[in-house]
Amino acid sequence: MAKILVVDDDPDLVESVSTILQNKNHKVVQAYGGIEGLEKARTEKPDAIVLDVMMPDKDGYEVCKELKADPNCQDIPVLLLTAVVSQIPNTTYTTRMGMETEADDYVDKPVEPSELVRLVERLLTP
Amino acid sequence: MNTDAIHFLIIDDEKIIREGAERIITKEGWQATTTDTGESGLELLKKNSFHILLLDLMMPGIGGMEVLKSVQETHPDLLVIVITGYATIENAVEAMKSGAYDFIPKPFTPDQLRIVVRRAIDKLKLKYETEQLRLQQEQSLQDIANEKSKTSTIINHMADGVLVTDHSGSIVLHNPAVTRMLGLEEQSPLGKTILEWTGNEELADMIGKVLTMQGSQDQGLSQELARGDPPAVFFVAHSAPVRTEAGSVVGSVTIFNDVTWLKELDQMKSDFVNMVSHELRSPLGSIRQKLSLIVDGFVGDVTEEQNKIVQRVQTRIDGLIGMIKNLLDISRIEAGRLIQQKERIVMPEIIESAVELLAQDAEAKGLRLNVTIDSQMYTIHADRQSMETVVTNLISNAIKYNREKGQITINAGNRGDFVELQVADTGVGISPENLPRIFDKFYRIRNEYTRQVVGSGLGLPLVKALVEAHLGTITVESQPDKGTAFTVLLPRGVN
Repeated sequence: MAKILVVDDDPDLVESVSTILQNKNHKVVQAYGGIEGLEKARTEKPDAIVLDVMMPDKDGYEVCKELKADPNCQDIPVLLLTAVVSQIPNTTYTTRMGMETEADDYVDKPVEPSELVRLVERLLTP
Repeated sequence: MNTDAIHFLIIDDEKIIREGAERIITKEGWQATTTDTGESGLELLKKNSFHILLLDLMMPGIGGMEVLKSVQETHPDLLVIVITGYATIENAVEAMKSGAYDFIPKPFTPDQLRIVVRRAIDKLKLKYETEQLRLQQEQSLQDIANEKSKTSTIINHMADGVLVTDHSGSIVLHNPAVTRMLGLEEQSPLGKTILEWTGNEELADMIGKVLTMQGSQDQGLSQELARGDPPAVFFVAHSAPVRTEAGSVVGSVTIFNDVTWLKELDQMKSDFVNMVSHELRSPLGSIRQKLSLIVDGFVGDVTEEQNKIVQRVQTRIDGLIGMIKNLLDISRIEAGRLIQQKERIVMPEIIESAVELLAQDAEAKGLRLNVTIDSQMYTIHADRQSMETVVTNLISNAIKYNREKGQITINAGNRGDFVELQVADTGVGISPENLPRIFDKFYRIRNEYTRQVVGSGLGLPLVKALVEAHLGTITVESQPDKGTAFTVLLPRGVN
């Protein structure tokens, strides 16, 4: 049982991901945008964050970067939800993923529930 | 000139001469009018058109010399033959000096008259023909001038650029369109070389190559060129050598088509496709995600029947998502924006993992997979994901379009400086009329068989675009009801 922050501008997706995680007895905190996500990460101190990449107010890369720069949040593992990995030109993707964002893992949307659970629980395992 | 139409005027006060001459002339088929005085002769000349005048010098009233002088002024083209007696031969000489063409002394025999008259007619004909020639020449000079100005008007008003050089590459002709397309100053480039005028090395190189083309089979070169930084004007230059009949190159003609608007249109199309695809993709992903909650039992139990239906819906949505992904990939390749991270790729690894991935699908259809991979295969320099897409698409097509319990033969090895991948199936095959179109976007062969197969019509175009983006080629061979074989060649990497 862990506290997981789910950030996505698509309420349907937030709901789906929440349902899956709640089903596995995790507590879910929801945020519907990058800025709100960042706020909740700081106030709620979740054990892990599931973070969408494409959001209108502040994208996932930006949120992730700020989290990792924040001493209070940098240890929270982040799973990035990408629209399609191939949708992002590889060079940009690699650079941003590897060097700037330091996300701990990423997965393509839509994700199979079992896969999502597996990835999140792997992040929670120290 | 029709000699029947030659009209004589005979002026003589002696009736015998007048009528004799008239008879001889009309017998020859010419026309003659006679009169007996200078005055009446001049009157007749005013009203009628005559070619030859037979003129007696010695007449009462106005004499022949006066008539002669008068007609010299009024009828310069009239040939005058004077008739004169022996006693007055000096008069004949004087008449000749005054412009008479010939003379005949009296008395004369019919033959003598005929000789003199014929000579005059020959002279007339010659004069006529010379005149005709002169007129023709004048006309053709006029025509050439007209033609020249017509041609230059056409060339100057063409929307396509025209640039002509001599054998040394100096410009001998150009039109405003080429100046505009190349973004140059409106000043005469005549005599300058391409490089001096345009500063465009690519263009100068191309025309240089055309000018040194040997053999008559080289028809010229075409190249897409751009101008501006970032490029704002795009044009295609088609350059062809101008040859003499003997085959030596004496110059070049280059035509420029402005394709900027096509590029813009293409960009708009790509942007549109991109936008629509993204807008479609998000909600579809969201729907797919929701359905997975039902299938995986996160929201309560579902009956087997319900589960089946939802799974089928999921499959269809996956098909749509896959199609949108392909569409995005294609539009990105076309826009030259698929930034590829090229690395050293070991093709056998890619092929083996694709086979592994798809083995289950093949098995479900009872297909036998014959895989032969040369372990000595060269590595290639390529984008990993692109190569995975190419191999997976080809094998998955071979599965989809195969018959139950058929075979798939995969051969991979080296061929010259290329690596070769061949994927052959024992499926329905492709009819000759469909074969040339299978790489077209959104082209799907509609028949009883393919109706069952979920496809976007974008798989093969994507494969082709990816292969070509790696400087490779893809070819297809097919026999209806026997099967289809795709062959991909990719250049080996530099180690």
